[in-house]
Amino acid sequence: MARDPVDVARRAAAIASIALVAAVVSPVARDPDADGFPLSTYPMFARDRGRSASLAYPIGRTAAGARRVLEPRFTGTTEVLQALNIVERAVAARDADALCRRIAAGVAADPGYADVATVEIVTATHDAVDYLVRDQVGSEFAHARCPVAR
Amino acid sequence: MTRWWFAPAPAERLATLRVLIGGYALVYVIARIAELVAIAHLPAAQLAPVGVVRVLAHPLPPSAVTAIAIATAVLLVAFVAGAAYRITAPLAAAGLLWTLSYRSSWGMIFHTENLVVLHVLALAIAPAADAWSIDSARRRREAAAGYGWPIKLLVALTAATYVLAGIAKLRLAGFAWLDGETLRDQIALDNLRKAVFGDPIAPLATPLLDHPAGFEAIALATLAIELAAPIALVGGRLARLWAAAAWAFHLGVVLMMNVWFPYPLLGVAFAPLFPVERAVRWIRDRRHPE
Repeated sequence: MARDPVDVARRAAAIASIALVAAVVSPVARDPDADGFPLSTYPMFARDRGRSASLAYPIGRTAAGARRVLEPRFTGTTEVLQALNIVERAVAARDADALCRRIAAGVAADPGYADVATVEIVTATHDAVDYLVRDQVGSEFAHARCPVAR
Repeated sequence: MTRWWFAPAPAERLATLRVLIGGYALVYVIARIAELVAIAHLPAAQLAPVGVVRVLAHPLPPSAVTAIAIATAVLLVAFVAGAAYRITAPLAAAGLLWTLSYRSSWGMIFHTENLVVLHVLALAIAPAADAWSIDSARRRREAAAGYGWPIKLLVALTAATYVLAGIAKLRLAGFAWLDGETLRDQIALDNLRKAVFGDPIAPLATPLLDHPAGFEAIALATLAIELAAPIALVGGRLARLWAAAAWAFHLGVVLMMNVWFPYPLLGVAFAPLFPVERAVRWIRDRRHPE
């Protein structure tokens, strides 16, 4: 006996729907820090990270020693979090010198940063509220320092 | 349950969602091609594969990354137009999944992109080109299972992502998340990361951090909106009220963290909750009055 095509189609649609929804909610069964894409545990704003943070990032220095922030694009991405990860991983892999030289080459080619004479890859611990509200910059430790050759 | 899931909906509504969601994905991929090319040149040691990209042990050559992104954009054009949909839609969805997974495989997962990928995957398995498409202009089809279930599926996926975000907060921080301190610290830290790279910080960040009263209420509202997302499946006014609240939540995220979720902010994520085809008809009737 031929099966009703509506039933067959509905069964297929139900299986596909259940499979997709089950896949999307499946991360709830794994470690919340074990994030993925596009099946995510969405941990991004969940954990209390405190108001102090140790961050690795590049900075520029003028010939007089004044500090200049460098945009994330110099690290190879326009996204801040991705740029932070790139710098942190380079520092962890003892590859800060190579990253420093790459950033310095980018800075040298950008007329908007003509006053930057040196690039540093630093790690610093900042109190986020003090930094943002009271302009208090924590001490910055340089892992690598390289000249901007023009 | 079966009657509810397969409740009828017009083919034009699903078609409108195909155009809206596919169109968003198309513009998004095109806008990201330059950045994809830039990250393709990062050192191999920086690759941290996620999702389907885990099949790779080494990065792809930059030319391959660019070619896949361009092919995905071309396939998404066919997806939006509904051309050879049964072939092009799954390929477009696969291309989008790969391209955006690759983007998230360099140390940061872009949670702003999950839902659009999931929605395109859902539409790719649905009869979304049975109206207002090149396919339907050539040959009229009528889906045996109707057009209501894919729309319910899109809403279910939207709701699931919000609920998961709420559950993550309770799993990682517990009800302590509601005291507002975790949220305040997240806002402070996120803006600090931007500040050290010279990125603009959010307009309300500094005044809120300077006068921190109110974070408890913001935290409670955030968790309530996330955990109440299944209301969207009920439909009607209640679902639309939730959509408005979720949209306002994303606006708040912009004002406090300068983190942009364009998919919900543009309303595309919530479009399956609305009779979107009526807007198309209204525009068409105004342009071509009887």
